Amino acid sequence: MYRYDEFDAAFVKERTAQFSDQVARRLTGELNEDQFRPLRLMNGLYLQLHAYMLRIAVPYGTMNSKQMHMLAHIARTYDRGYGHFTTRQNIQFNWPKLRDIPKILEDLASVEMHAIQTSGNCIRNITTDQFAGATADEIIDPRPVAEILRQWSSLHPEFSYLPRKFKIAMTGSPTDRAAIRFHDIGLQATTSALGEIGWQVWVGGGLGRTPMIGKMISGFVPHEHLLAYLESILRVYNRYGRRDNKYKARIKILVHEEGIDSIRQQVDEEFAQVKGGVLHLPQDELDRIGKYFVEPAYELVNETRVDVAREKILNPLYGRWLEHNLHGHRQPGYVSVTISLKPIGGAPGDATDAQIDVVADLAERYSHDELRVTHEQNLVLPHVKITDLPAVYARLVEHGLAEGNAGQITDMICCPGLDFCALANARSIPLAQEISRKFGSPERQAEIGDLKIKISGCINACGHHHVAHIGILGVEKKGTELYQITVGGDATEQAAIGDILGHGFIAEDVPAAIERLVDAYIARRQSPSEPFIDAFRRIGKEPFKEALYGNA
Amino acid sequence: MEILTGNELMSGATVYLDREGRWVEELQHARVFNNDEVEARDAAIAATKKTLRVVSLEIETVTLSDGAIYPDRIRERIRAEGPTAPRFDRQHLDEDGHVSI
Repeated sequence: MYRYDEFDAAFVKERTAQFSDQVARRLTGELNEDQFRPLRLMNGLYLQLHAYMLRIAVPYGTMNSKQMHMLAHIARTYDRGYGHFTTRQNIQFNWPKLRDIPKILEDLASVEMHAIQTSGNCIRNITTDQFAGATADEIIDPRPVAEILRQWSSLHPEFSYLPRKFKIAMTGSPTDRAAIRFHDIGLQATTSALGEIGWQVWVGGGLGRTPMIGKMISGFVPHEHLLAYLESILRVYNRYGRRDNKYKARIKILVHEEGIDSIRQQVDEEFAQVKGGVLHLPQDELDRIGKYFVEPAYELVNETRVDVAREKILNPLYGRWLEHNLHGHRQPGYVSVTISLKPIGGAPGDATDAQIDVVADLAERYSHDELRVTHEQNLVLPHVKITDLPAVYARLVEHGLAEGNAGQITDMICCPGLDFCALANARSIPLAQEISRKFGSPERQAEIGDLKIKISGCINACGHHHVAHIGILGVEKKGTELYQITVGGDATEQAAIGDILGHGFIAEDVPAAIERLVDAYIARRQSPSEPFIDAFRRIGKEPFKEALYGNA
Repeated sequence: MEILTGNELMSGATVYLDREGRWVEELQHARVFNNDEVEARDAAIAATKKTLRVVSLEIETVTLSDGAIYPDRIRERIRAEGPTAPRFDRQHLDEDGHVSI
């Protein structure tokens, strides 16, 4: 993992001291709220419905056990004994008090963490594949480049006041597990005709009230020019992005209104000026950063495969967990383990301080001191020996973390919704809990197969409902929470935005409506091995519309 | 009918202006402004702003039912009670978190 250098440590320490002083001045009344609000937001401190909310950055979703233990400490000491992992691989605390924030930031700085740029119109946390550096299907480990982008974008003076927030996601694998086509910039590792590895660059993707699939702006940018190319995109956006209307200020609107060819031309003109200058990234610097991400000292393991079928007979719950929560590793004898934060009937993405400590312990003991946060609100132990799986599972069972539902219908993305969020129009979590209970039996989930439900409590789409196989969007109409249902979205390389099927439902009717969609799929699939999304692509939305609303 | 609500600076707790000019946790203690009390309401807002201690100050419309105050918006009903799922007690004021105008 990357370790802070003197510059990193200095700027985090300096910012912590600055914000501590700003909090003190706010408490004495020297600063009023209009003056203080932008300062607290620059440090990840929001005011939500019931209390302050602190959003802490987890750069490219990677942490070590010491950092994870610190999050548990913060949950226990300053909050209410739990944290909420988010769709941007960050963590949020829902109940901190203003006077404790400086102490929290000092604690975070002591383990090389902070909350800078988790709000505001700046470049936010870079996100990536949760299996980066471990997965068998990777062209390149994206983390060294993600780290370089973190350094480039942190406190970048030119991009501190962009027209709107700016999100970058990247993947080193051709299988997109980071939803890169739905980010302001998406980066996909690729190989040139000469066999050189570089980056395919997508721009103008996004969710929110105007969902857009990103457009490819360059088919290949070499490592050495990537910073200059991204800087060029940001400059064009900073210059021409709309500042008159926040709903039209994201780069997706600029790309849509101007056209990708025009944007590409302007970026290329800028790139011609910037290329080869101070942002040129020499291979030795990439190698230097890369040394922080060298492969762990793997052991040679005789046992190289997991006999899931056998384990399912011996212990069905363990077998089910093995079947769904393991991901193939590049090192024989190892796997990546997804720790589901979606217990049946639970709040998606929440973990108690005790659970956070347990995951930190497991990472230290069984995963070379590394863990990941996924954008689907789960945790990952990236490097686990196959022979250690029984011990890892047993510990997860003890602490309520052994749900074997990764990728299943109960593994939902869900935003905090109107129970916590000041922007929301409707609640999300209670709905997720009801759906989870309705489909919670292992047999029912096995019958359904891979199916992604995602729930947002407002059109800002933090719950990614647009790219769900079945998406749910909460709205408020005449004082009642109503839920619109979409079908056919896809966050992967086969990117698609779901279609709204018709009028909304009251909360009590949503689980039954979802069940009608699921039953319609099961009745029409070619075989149990045809997933929901494939069946949808084959038969279209009409059968699903009919299942929800009848023939009328 | 309207009430005034906001969040107390230090704890972030939801608070309501009561009849005595204090910012309190209990919705049912909130002062209800009738439609002909716009001046009094605006004076209370101005006085509150001077304290610098209540943020996200908002006017909320409410209905009275059997003497109980019932906010018209779901959002406000959840703010008054705390999150419904997972169920948590609402945030409370610290000892030094009491504000008056």
